[in-house]
Amino acid sequence: MRNVVVVISLSLCACGLSGCEGLVKGPGGGATLDPNTEVGVSGIRRLSRVELDQTLADVLGDTASPAQQHIAPDPTNPYDNEFKQQLPSAALIESLERIATEVADRLIASPTRFAEEVGCTPQGPSDAACLRSFVETFGLRALRRPLTEDEVLGFLGLQTFAVEANDFKVGVKLVVMAMLQEPEFVYRVEIGTPVAGREGVQKLNDWHVASRLSYFLWGTTPPPWLLDAAKNGQLQTSAGVRSAAQRLIDDPRAQANVERFHALWLAYHRLPHAPNLTSAMQAESAALVTKVVFQDKGDYFDLFTSEQTYINQTLATHYGITVFSGGATGFAWTPYRTAPRKGILSHGSVLSAGAKFSDTSPTQRGIFIRERLFCQSVPPPPPGVNVDEIPSSPTSNCKIDRYSAHASVGGCKSCHQNFDPVGFGIENFNRAGQFRATDDGQPSCAISGQGELTGLPGGTQAFQGVVGLADLMVGSGDLEACTVKQVYRFAMGRREEAFDLGLLDKLTASFKDHNRSFQGLLLDLVSDETFAFRRDE
Amino acid sequence: MKKAIRLSRRAALKGLGGATLGLPLLECMLDGRDAYAQAVPPRRYIVFFDGQSIGADGDSSPNQVVPNTLGPDYDLKEALTPLGALKSEVSVVSGLKIPWAAENGGVIPAGGRADVHHVQSLSPMLSGVRSNASRTRSEGATSDQVAADFLASPAQVTAARRSLQYRVQADWYLSVSAAYGRDIISYRMNGANPVALPPTVSPQAAFSSLFGTFVPTGVSPAEIAKFQFDLRARRSVLDLVKRDTQKLIPQLGTADKARMQRHFDELRDLEQRIAAIPPPQTSTCVKPTDPGADPVIGSAQPYNMNTMENQYNQNSGYSNEEQRARVFCDLIHMALACDLSRVVSLQMTMFQSHLNMYQLTGQATDCHELGHGGVPGGNRAMARGIAWHVKWYTYLIQKFIDTPEANGRMIDNIAMPFIFEGGHGRDPEQSASMSSHSTENMVVMLAGRAGGLKPGKHIRKMNQHPATVLVSALKAVGYTGNNLGEVTGEVPELFT
Repeated sequence: MRNVVVVISLSLCACGLSGCEGLVKGPGGGATLDPNTEVGVSGIRRLSRVELDQTLADVLGDTASPAQQHIAPDPTNPYDNEFKQQLPSAALIESLERIATEVADRLIASPTRFAEEVGCTPQGPSDAACLRSFVETFGLRALRRPLTEDEVLGFLGLQTFAVEANDFKVGVKLVVMAMLQEPEFVYRVEIGTPVAGREGVQKLNDWHVASRLSYFLWGTTPPPWLLDAAKNGQLQTSAGVRSAAQRLIDDPRAQANVERFHALWLAYHRLPHAPNLTSAMQAESAALVTKVVFQDKGDYFDLFTSEQTYINQTLATHYGITVFSGGATGFAWTPYRTAPRKGILSHGSVLSAGAKFSDTSPTQRGIFIRERLFCQSVPPPPPGVNVDEIPSSPTSNCKIDRYSAHASVGGCKSCHQNFDPVGFGIENFNRAGQFRATDDGQPSCAISGQGELTGLPGGTQAFQGVVGLADLMVGSGDLEACTVKQVYRFAMGRREEAFDLGLLDKLTASFKDHNRSFQGLLLDLVSDETFAFRRDE
Repeated sequence: MKKAIRLSRRAALKGLGGATLGLPLLECMLDGRDAYAQAVPPRRYIVFFDGQSIGADGDSSPNQVVPNTLGPDYDLKEALTPLGALKSEVSVVSGLKIPWAAENGGVIPAGGRADVHHVQSLSPMLSGVRSNASRTRSEGATSDQVAADFLASPAQVTAARRSLQYRVQADWYLSVSAAYGRDIISYRMNGANPVALPPTVSPQAAFSSLFGTFVPTGVSPAEIAKFQFDLRARRSVLDLVKRDTQKLIPQLGTADKARMQRHFDELRDLEQRIAAIPPPQTSTCVKPTDPGADPVIGSAQPYNMNTMENQYNQNSGYSNEEQRARVFCDLIHMALACDLSRVVSLQMTMFQSHLNMYQLTGQATDCHELGHGGVPGGNRAMARGIAWHVKWYTYLIQKFIDTPEANGRMIDNIAMPFIFEGGHGRDPEQSASMSSHSTENMVVMLAGRAGGLKPGKHIRKMNQHPATVLVSALKAVGYTGNNLGEVTGEVPELFT
């Protein structure tokens, strides 16, 4: 119910600003664009490896994850879908052909799946009606829009091979091979209708909107009901888009995708631990994300301030938590009690970031916090800095002294003061998230856990430990904007630009005004008027 | 005595497709023995890259790469031990240096680098063009692409096999960063802009691309017919996709158009590779055994939570690079033997490589940390990592020696430089000496006997640019220029 109120208040707000005059009417009705509203850039976006594998599972029931096998890892910075980093190459094209061939071979090798996907019983190798039916239904799923008659005929042309081989399945195989290499399958291509008077701005059609929704919220292709909604014009209003988005959000696939977003954002999608510890840590963080976003649906910043965590015996032992009720193998929500932990920043998953020299690196951790949670841009080290040198001090083996001596050289301090003290504030946790009172192997070097953050609205502020850092971040007033920015980067597959700033401000204000509801943020983003428009790069 | 060329009807028909492209006589029109056994064999150029320096931080003992003795029959130190008797096929050029900014008033000199290490040496080392401090790429055409300009045959260009790019190290292996250019060693120029040529990392994809069109041997006529049918079908599928891509391009905005055009160009290249008639299989050109599914990609670098030390004695940070190296070397050998291509870049490890060395050398550290004391032993520890690379270099050399060609062996028509990321010496970032972050005392090895190369000696060229070795290697395969990028000069002793 609260979300409905948001829609009304936003739309009233938009009318109030524009006076409801001069709005550009989209083709066939649909979303309108306030002349004062800027539209962000979008380009053709290749499906990431994860998206490609999930899409293949959805459109053909192929769960072999061939993209993970054949395509080189996506560049991640930190998200794996930055379209400006995606580079077509011979290696990519060959891998795509390989994937298409393997998937097609697997489909025709399975009579059950073949019957399910084709959906008609062929009356011989030249049964054009049956193949046409498959081309049209599969084409809609694969290209995420209906095929034109010319396109259908192009695919049906492959049936000559079925006739030659006297085998209907050959036609199906070749159609699948072709469809999976089509540019509009491999990429999300948005060719909209130019908006009069707005250079480079286009209005998207309903099929584009359906794809934007499902790849953002699910990381995969639109389900049939969403394609139906597009076909029936139900995505032409903000309310319609919002309603579809809510249905997507209510599906477990949205949970998985929101968890994946957090794992990429907070750098725990891959962890350098033994498999059992890695999976326990990832489960711990995923459980908190799911609880905050999908179960409690309250203040999103509970993610950073939660007083309990979801762990198993492995993690309880690892963290030194003695009161645990989950038994030998189960997971259980477990209060931190007196442990100096709070929220996701105290998870072993997140604390694994920024390790270096076989230990934590306060510098790397400080940079991580600033870049990922304050969305600040940290410049690379200037020329003349050897980032592979272990900091040392002539007078002390204690880490804080070594880093202090290191950072006091020349002009280093001006930069290092912005991140080293942040890292030292959480130095009590080693690079697997275990508490320690002293430096590793240096029992005389006590770790104080005192840190400080420069550049906050109130100037430099001190904090104590991961609990203090979480409180400081949540209270800083900056975390909301950064959360919104990170979600937006993930949604758009790129960094924000000048055109986006108005929208980001609007989303941040709404996020703050609505108890920092994460679902509300997702819904606000997709139901904003700009979601149905794009700008050429 | 030149033999008259007689075209069979089938060969003439094969050539017709090419003739419509306005190409000269195609090799597929020649009788197999003429083209592949008796004609003058083509020259080939192979870049073999090791993402390491030659010595470890702070170790002032002699590095384990540069021989003590100059000239022929040089002594083999630990890193070069795998060469064994094949040292007679490899020259070692030592004492080389890439200049840097700090010694040039803070300005990156021609053919030089910024003071920071790692990827800054990429451009001057591989292309001879000075690096750009804010970019992690080559600023000029890399030597393999210079070679491809004059080595690739018209048929290879038509078949989009101007050059091959492969990488053995399958992943970056760190969880919170990315390779940012450390994973690519081939660039060609598009006007003034370098265009990256990312390598294939999948041995299976490489096999399929190179040999997927080779007609299987020793099978029934029905199976051959099925193979030819599949090939035709594959081409029809690609043709359909290509046409749809072409229709899409004019509808896109400027930036998208450029991306999709490159996608289209690559599709067209793939179609041309499939359309190219494979060479006849002979005693030396044989379709290799299918390497099967690629090894699984390993997870991020591991460590032991009890000791808090990196725990390399397991498979994390490793994707069976041993098997990948073997398959890629086998494929490269056969691709050249069959004259599918004449230019290859093989990146064994990335710049600043985080490949787990445990499975390869028994050392519980990663390749990069070998230079920074990841395990005790300094230069000797580092030598074991280098030796792993040299082992595969030797493996390839042996294959080229063992393959007869015309009146000699394949090795007689090859130039194959072995390139390191760095040397061992002064580090301008730190004003340190004996650093692994140095481009002093660099080494380039060169195998092959093409163009009169006389391998098997140790040559010292103090402070000469390493790209001059590449100029000589290029000249050995027919290059008529005297420079690579901004670097002019060569190493004439390689030919005497």
